[in-house]
Amino acid sequence: MQVSLLEFVNNSQTTCLNESFEHGIKSILSSKKKNTSDAYLLSDADEQLLLNISFNQTVRVRSIVIKSTNASQAPQEIKILVNRSSVGFEDVQDAKEPEIAQALNLTEEQVTEGQQIPLRFVRFQTVNSIHIFVASNHGGEDETRIDAVDILGVPVETTKDLSGLKKQDE
Amino acid sequence: MPLEATLMIIDNSEYMRNGDYQPTRFEAQTDAVTTIFQTKVDSNPESSVGLMTMAAKGPEVLVTHSRDIGQILQGIHKTTGRLGGTADIPTALNIAQLALKHRQNKNLRQRIILFVGSPLDGAAADEKGMVRLAKKLKKNNVAVDVVAFGDAIEEGAEGSGNVLKAFVDAASSGDNSHLVSVPPGPHLLSDIILTSAILAGDRGMPEPMADGGAGGEGAGGSNQFEFGVDPSLDPELAMALRMSMEEEQARQAAAQAAQQSPAPSAPDSAPTTTVPAEPTDEEEEAMLRQALAMSQEEQDVEMHDHGDGDGDEDEEMSEEEAIARAIEMSMQQSEQEQQQKK
Repeated sequence: MQVSLLEFVNNSQTTCLNESFEHGIKSILSSKKKNTSDAYLLSDADEQLLLNISFNQTVRVRSIVIKSTNASQAPQEIKILVNRSSVGFEDVQDAKEPEIAQALNLTEEQVTEGQQIPLRFVRFQTVNSIHIFVASNHGGEDETRIDAVDILGVPVETTKDLSGLKKQDE
Repeated sequence: MPLEATLMIIDNSEYMRNGDYQPTRFEAQTDAVTTIFQTKVDSNPESSVGLMTMAAKGPEVLVTHSRDIGQILQGIHKTTGRLGGTADIPTALNIAQLALKHRQNKNLRQRIILFVGSPLDGAAADEKGMVRLAKKLKKNNVAVDVVAFGDAIEEGAEGSGNVLKAFVDAASSGDNSHLVSVPPGPHLLSDIILTSAILAGDRGMPEPMADGGAGGEGAGGSNQFEFGVDPSLDPELAMALRMSMEEEQARQAAAQAAQQSPAPSAPDSAPTTTVPAEPTDEEEEAMLRQALAMSQEEQDVEMHDHGDGDGDEDEEMSEEEAIARAIEMSMQQSEQEQQQKK
């Protein structure tokens, strides 16, 4: 059993390094569900991207979906890290497993069709934040484009998110 | 109202002892630092500002992410007695980036404000290296504002202006980084920065209103404004100046009109032209006598009667203008005489 974990994403602490000014990560994640609009995430200075997605409760992640309509701009090599508060490009550039949770090489079909990419479940048992580093894209282009991101798994039963609670009038 | 974590890198090299900015370069920079701090902190309740130096023994972070002016002042005070060495800009920028990266609230956008008052040399003068550094900062979502003053702007087309400009252009993403060059002059460094693009967003001003936009060299000093005063700093003074200007223009227009129509009557410059419309007979008599007396001594009166406040204006006035004014006044006088005859 797995559900989309995007509803647990803490938008205010979610950032993306090297995102372009007009096409930032907020445009594809702020809806709290998989993006279906025209908005997309685009890299700025070069092809690399570093998505820092923070959750407002602990979750278990089973698989991710990365969708990109343009095959040549679609992410190829990615590295996934968990629970790192401040991570920059220099931290992940040369990092290998087990320092990072998992490194993946995505096929073109996986990204253009938005297939589910199963992760090594044991390494994603207590995830408070997940960091997806996109090292390269399929076409060797200067810009990497991501149209939608989905994270699938199960929320850990802990104290529920309290941000939704409102003060009750008497 | 941007939500930002800002780190200011101040120059504390030997060059900052120079007195070409009021009172010294370092003091002017101190003033600018507190101004920027207040503006940033006031613009958003979550914004934080840090401070570091880049010369002396080596770059040193004095304050990380604070909203307390006391900490900033303490940091500056500590630095005041320790001016020395030369600035190491690339290292300072790298350290600043690290300090920003480890900010508590990831929601804050990162910004570095770099003050440079010393000439660029070594790695800082290498345009390629600086552009590479700018690309790295841009990749890490760090915006960079550069305030160049003193020796940082003295070199011409081949000099530091280009390196800094290239650096800012390379770091800019969505026009979020700016270069402001402030030459020495009677103006205050902090005033120029306050009205520049660097603080435009924090003061809620539209970008075009601010001078010296992206990479602009336009912050040339106070003379860029119509009356030498920034209207946004002192609206009342600006309005007074504008009204005075309009009055002067109206006066000149009237003088021109008077010049075009012939006015063959005794020139007179008496200020009585502004008396109420219906004077009594006695008053008329008195005024006529006065006017007559003044017209007789007009040679002396002509240049000196026009009020005490306009002394410098009279100096500037050419002879033709003086004649034009005399004719205009005589016109007014003749009108009054006609009025009196009615």
